[in-house]
Amino acid sequence: MFSITVNDKGVILLTGRLDAAQVDKAREVFAALEVSAVVDFKELDYISSAGLGVLLATQQRLKKGGNAIKLVNMNRMVRDVFKIARFDLIFEIE
Amino acid sequence: MRQQFDKDIRSLDAVFAFLRRFAEEERLDARASYVLDLAVEEFFTNIVKYGRGTASDILLEAVRDGRTATVRLEEQTPVPFDVTRPTQTQFDVPFADRRPGGLGIHIAREMLDGLTYDYVDGTSRITLTKHLET
Repeated sequence: MFSITVNDKGVILLTGRLDAAQVDKAREVFAALEVSAVVDFKELDYISSAGLGVLLATQQRLKKGGNAIKLVNMNRMVRDVFKIARFDLIFEIE
Repeated sequence: MRQQFDKDIRSLDAVFAFLRRFAEEERLDARASYVLDLAVEEFFTNIVKYGRGTASDILLEAVRDGRTATVRLEEQTPVPFDVTRPTQTQFDVPFADRRPGGLGIHIAREMLDGLTYDYVDGTSRITLTKHLET
């Protein structure tokens, strides 16, 4: 399962598995984002290209207004996926 | 082990449950399990997305042989689609114009240790292999 929440500091928390069947939940939250934000991957176990697509579209939209999302606390496998996709060149990853 | 799935994105949860059972029974390491989940998802959704002209089920078969795990995706279709052929990835495209198309198959190929495709008598078969750490 997958869940996405925004805490009182505006940090977006991803939990579980972000796959093609769950991606609409993430799309809905990211589509409403209009300013820079931190996305916390600490509880995210899995991501596929479906999730990467949502993050890419969000970053492209935000950059037009001088904003961006920053990604933090990725596990090793998720980080490998970002590297292979060369998304480490698109996002600030901490 | 093998199981058939409807050619529908809503089958993904059942597909992952099948792969989780395979990983547990065959004691796959965490990396191999992640890679097989990702690769199967990417190819399964590709088949669903592009239809290939039929509504037939997709058969998954998973086997461990020593230090190698193999998963096959099989469907009946009149339209072959060789997933081992190069796809267009957009690494040279400016960031603002980049689109995710082809990305999933690229990632799967990079993370797998083997990928083959064959098409015989209307049966399309994608075979994924991953070497195991333990």
